[in-house]
Amino acid sequence: MRREVNITTDKIDEVALLQRRELASGMGAVVYFLGVVRGSEAGRPIDAIDYEVFADMARRQFDLIFDQVEKRWPLASIRLVHRVGRVVAGEPSLWVETIAPHREEAFAACQFVIAEMKRSVPIWKQACPV
Amino acid sequence: MQIRVHFYSYCKELTGSASVVENVEPGSRIENLLQKLFVHFPKLVPVQKSLLVAVGVDYQGADYILQEGDEVSLFPPVQGG
Repeated sequence: MRREVNITTDKIDEVALLQRRELASGMGAVVYFLGVVRGSEAGRPIDAIDYEVFADMARRQFDLIFDQVEKRWPLASIRLVHRVGRVVAGEPSLWVETIAPHREEAFAACQFVIAEMKRSVPIWKQACPV
Repeated sequence: MQIRVHFYSYCKELTGSASVVENVEPGSRIENLLQKLFVHFPKLVPVQKSLLVAVGVDYQGADYILQEGDEVSLFPPVQGG
């Protein structure tokens, strides 16, 4: 399974990510998820979110999550970008793509990665009020 | 034995620093280290039940026996995405 993790302060470049997609002939499903910073947090307007990361541990935890994905679903590829630092409202902070033979596996794996990330990957956020 | 402890997120604000070095007895467990930290940084006490601990890049429980050279990280529940 192809696996890529990029934890970056750069803006997420969806066009570049899509151009680098590799689709083998047996793969019939591509799911990608974009998490976008909302303009409010707990009912209050915000300008941005500051993301802090423990980068080495985050990469390790993503690896462990991908190990589980590999055991559970026949994925060809999983790629993930998590932006850190200041991300202004309306911009994406997370991009996840899963490629599998069928949609059930692609959706399930994508959901699983995001849920597990929120449970174990050391990234924290702090809202920046307007 | 000296153990470096790194703080992340609001643990950094509660302790006023990004990392400290604590002296512990050989054979000490994470729970022993935490008790020392709670004495030195009492603002951590109210959030102690929610704190997560890692050694290096892996999560560890309170009964983990510390080794010379271990780097411990202390942080609140994660919130990626």
